[in-house]
Formats: sequence, C-alpha cells, structure tokens
Amino acid sequence: MRIEEKFKQLKKEGKKAFIAYIPFGFPKIGYTKDIILALQASGVDMIELGVPFSDPLADGPIIQKAASLALKQGADIEKLFITLEGIKKSLKIPLVIMTYYNPLFKFGIEKFFTKMQAVEVSGIIVVDLPHDESRNYIEKTRKFDLETVFFITPTTSKSRQEKIVKISQGFIYYISVTGITGPKSFTFTPLTSYVKDLKKITELPICVGFGVHTPLQVEKIRSFSDGVIVGSGIVEFIGKHFRQKNFLNKLKTYVNFLNGREYA
Amino acid sequence: MKKPQLPDKRGYFGEFGGKFVPETLICALEELECAYREAKKDKRFKKKLKGYLSEYAGRPTPLYFARNLSQFLGMNIYLKREDLLHTGAHKINNTLGQILLAKFMGKRRIIAETGAGQHGVAVATVATLFGLKCDIYMGAEDIDRQKMNVFRMQVLGARVIPVESGTKTLKDACSEAIRDWVTNVRGTYYLLGSTVGPHPYPLIVRDFQSVIGREAKRQILKMEGKLPDYLVACVGGGSNSLGLFYPFFKQTEVKFIGVEAGGYGLGDYNAASLSCGGIGVLHGAKSYLLQDNGGQIKNTHSIAAGLDYPGVGPEHAFYKSSGRAQYVVVKDKQALEGFKLLSKLEGIIPALEPAHAIYYLKKLAKKAKGLLVVVCLSGRGDKDLNIIQKYK
Ligand SMILES: Cc1ncc(COP(=O)(O)O)c(C=O)c1O
Repeated sequence: MRIEEKFKQLKKEGKKAFIAYIPFGFPKIGYTKDIILALQASGVDMIELGVPFSDPLADGPIIQKAASLALKQGADIEKLFITLEGIKKSLKIPLVIMTYYNPLFKFGIEKFFTKMQAVEVSGIIVVDLPHDESRNYIEKTRKFDLETVFFITPTTSKSRQEKIVKISQGFIYYISVTGITGPKSFTFTPLTSYVKDLKKITELPICVGFGVHTPLQVEKIRSFSDGVIVGSGIVEFIGKHFRQKNFLNKLKTYVNFLNGREYA
Repeated sequence: MKKPQLPDKRGYFGEFGGKFVPETLICALEELECAYREAKKDKRFKKKLKGYLSEYAGRPTPLYFARNLSQFLGMNIYLKREDLLHTGAHKINNTLGQILLAKFMGKRRIIAETGAGQHGVAVATVATLFGLKCDIYMGAEDIDRQKMNVFRMQVLGARVIPVESGTKTLKDACSEAIRDWVTNVRGTYYLLGSTVGPHPYPLIVRDFQSVIGREAKRQILKMEGKLPDYLVACVGGGSNSLGLFYPFFKQTEVKFIGVEAGGYGLGDYNAASLSCGGIGVLHGAKSYLLQDNGGQIKNTHSIAAGLDYPGVGPEHAFYKSSGRAQYVVVKDKQALEGFKLLSKLEGIIPALEPAHAIYYLKKLAKKAKGLLVVVCLSGRGDKDLNIIQKYK
C-alpha cells in the first residue's frame, strides 16, 4: 500500500497515524517477519523498517545496540529483501525502509530500488542524505515510483523547509527535538507551533518522532500533527521481552497501550 | 595542473566530500561555513591567529636537514619539525585556528573526538587558554592504551568521556561527538581534528594546517634554492599531510607521497583506507573507507593510534583519483624500524605516526640517488614510549 493512500484512508476515518520503527534482524533475523505481522495485527498504521548500520550517527544507545546485535546475526540487505518477499502477501499496511546512506550506496542504489519495487515497499528514508545531496537519489526514486520521506527538524530554516517539502512524498518526518533517537521527555510548547507553521507551507501529512515513548506523548502529539512515530520504546520492549512466552501477544498489548487503546 | 577550486561550493573535491549528515546538523554546518568565510576576510582574526601560532605554539618550526639520515639513505632529507610545537604535534595548528573561530561565533562549549589523545590534548589546551568548557570523547579502548594523554587532558580541565559503543576507538569517538553535536547543536562547537567529516571541516582543517607547507616552501627555497622532488607524510585522516602538500599543489614537479598505516598487513587488519578501501560515506563525507560488502565499517588496526581510523579525508581521495598524490603502505613492524632509525641517527624520537613516513624513505631511496625530500615530522614520540617498550 502506498503511504499517500494510507493517509487518505486515515483522514476519511478521522484518525491519526501510529507508526512503529523496528530494526531489521533484531533480536534475530527470523523474528522480523513475526514482529511486523504482530504490529500490523495490533493496529499499527505503518512500519518503518531500519537497515542496521555499524555507525548510526543519529541513533541513541537502544537502537545502536539493536543494530549491532542484528549485524552480528548477519542481517544484511539480501536477507532483508528475502524477509520482505516472504511477507509481501500478508502485509496490508505501508512499509518504509529507513537506512543510512552507506549500505544503500554500497549495495547499489538502482539495484536496491529494483528490489524495493519487487517486494512492494513504497517508501524510503535515508537518515544522512539531506536535501543538499539528494538530486541524483530523487531522480532514481522517481523512476522506481518510490515515495521519498525527508526529515525536517527544529533547526531547519524556513527556506530549507520549502525546498524539502518540494521533494518529500508520503509524509514529512518532523523530528521532535534536536537530538538523537531514544526516550526523552520534552515540552510541547515550541513543537506545537513549529508543526503548525510547517502546515502552512505543505499539504503533506506531518508525523512527529524521536524520543516518543509514553501514551501521553503519543496522544498529545497526535492532537496537533497527522501521526506519531515510536522507535526506541518498542525496540527496548522487544529486547526485554522476546525470550518470554507469548512475546508477540505482549508486544501487541504494549503497542495498544502506547496507542491509547488499552481502554478501548 | 591547473588549480581547481578545492573544494567547490558544495564541498566537493571532484566526486568526493559533501555533507552527508542528518538534517539537524545542516544549519550548524551552514553557520560554520559562513563564520569561517567571514573570519578569513577579517584582518584581526588573521593577526590574532598568527600571534598565537608564533608566541604560544612556537611557529615557525624549523626545517631541519637530517644529515646522518641523509647520508645513511643516500638522499637529502629535510624534516619539518612539527614535533617541536607546543603539545608535541601539528594538531595545535588546527585547534588554535578553530578555537578562535568558536570564539568568533560566540560558542561557549567545545566538544571533540580523539584517538591517540594528541588532538584531545591540543583541544583541551586551547579550550582552557580561552576559558571554554570542554568535553572530549575517547574510545574506552584508547583510554586504556593512552593513559598519559587522558591524564594530560584532565589536568587541563577537560572532561574525558569514555565511548563504549562499536569498536571503542576513534571512529566511535567521532560518531559520539557528532551525536552530542546533533543534540546540543545550538551552543556547542565541534572541534574536529583532521581533514575529515562533512563540509566545511575538510576545508577548514586543511587551511589551518597549510601553514606547514607554506613555511616549508619558503624554507627549502632559502636553504636549497629549489623545490623538493618529494613531499612525504603519514596519512590518518590526512591533516598533517595536506598541510604540507596543499601549498605545493600547483607545482606538479613536486611529487606527493602519503603513507598509510598497514597495521598487521594488507590481508589483515590495517588502516589503509586509500590503498585497501573502497568509495563510501562515513562521518559525513564521501571518500575512501574500509568497509565490507554490505557497506558496514570494518575494524581497523594500527600500532599508531592516530592513524587507526577506517576513513580518510575527501581531498586525499581526490588526489588519489586524479593522480596528484601517490599512496603507499607501511606496516606496524616497519614503522617501529622507522622509529628506531630516526631516534638512533638523529637523536629525534618521532611519534609512531610519522615513523611510518620515516620508514618509507628507505624505499624511496631505492628509486634514485640524491633525491631532495621533505618529510613532515608530525609529532614527537613521548606518548608512544610505553607501546615501544612492549615491542622490545
Ligand atoms: C603525531 C600525529 N601525526 C599524525 C596523525 C594523523 O592525523 P592526520 O592524518 O590528520 O595528520 C596524528 C593523529 O593523532 C598524530 O597525533
């Protein structure tokens, strides 16, 4: 499913998106498929699947550790696409690949995009590929009809925002605070107005992520944006519970809790 | 060779360089670029830097004719004595320049990465001189290997933060410093120690280090009446070598040789990114790096902690691809031989990093008799004595 389509659907239903981030191959390669399907079953609207990288500059300790564990298990791009091929038929929600530039570059950008198309992944985010370096990349993604998600942060100037909005598709990933991934407490005062200002220059949905890890944060963020992204919180939960019985059910319960559905 | 604008406006040296960083850092890089452009035009900035370089750091450094070594190898060898600078290495040229820039920008906190601790000490030194708060990231493994430098930084009032992630060495310290910068971007200045990282760092560091080559050029012309046949320097990130090479860029009759760390050997762990690596993106720039088939960064090894890094500055990648410089590899054991050679023949104990360059002179001597060579002696060897003892 395309991201664009998902947001249209949510809009019709008057809902805001809940997006879950997980690293591929964590805690083991075989788990990824089951985790994705469990997240889908618990009502997550979209999955962001991270490609593990040895030197993740924008990630805090939780995702760093998960990525390094995944790499130890041999979680490479070939296996990522094999996994995605295996769930292609059961996956009803959009999936976005999130990667650092070097693994993508080394694998071959066109080859990577060809595979993405084959496994019907609709979107891609490259953490360390800012607008300034994206010309060639954008040309290629358009050829393969992939939706390109970009970050906007509290430090992004107005003039940059306008440029980024032009090359963005699917949604805008708004980074909640200047910082790396990992649970944080943050204030909503400037954030709310930043997102409101951004809405003035784009029709695209705006989703907020980085640091979000409590149901209250999720609820608040959804009140002024089009969706929320939760990463480290879920990754930490997986790391702590995957050895337990009924792990997948526990994961579903946890996601429902974050998603504000425990009272439903 | 016509001198192209290096780097271009987008921070590229040919196909290498750029700004491959998370969006949060773009504004900080733009701010830095603007400030640097202004500082460069500012006469007072120039004068201040010149003053500190001469009165505080000890510039100009001598260009010393190494008579015994020259006789032994059958060529004419001049050593550019960066080892005589305050704090014992060329690193202070860059840290003085950048600390003035940080002051110019009104920043109150300095962060930096360090491997051997040489850059860390040079940063702690200037931070305390200018009264700025200073946090230095250092891999837990390097902290173990370089205790004396850790202590030096602490005496100077810096906080040394151990990095436990990844391989616990320089590359991880660099990643951690960048993460800190992403988080505290508004008030913090990241003082990068080599010609690596996103634009404009490779430009800024090369410019501040170019004082090495400018002096050497003047000195060799005065002493020999001609330009050298070869310039030789060790290459970690690439700052002492580019500092020496860059002012000679247009004089194509002067050949550049960059000496990389061969570690245990080419088929084994090493840190020779240009000789053994492939093109990729690490720490914000496209350059050569040591990586596996999946684009994951490889573990490295060198006896010289200052060379133990899986990447290299983009300007070197450009010099390699354009053929302006040649890159060679010297292994741990050979570097030790270079270390002993200079200590015994000249009474100068080099750091293990430039000991790589010294060793290479033996090979260069076989090419022709009587070559005129300038070598960058980038640092002194005190910091390495405990490592040398282990290899006895
Ligand atoms: C004495 C000395 N030489 C050389 C280097 C390598 O760095 P670069 O290649 O940037 O000159 C270092 C780094 O710590 C050093 O301490």
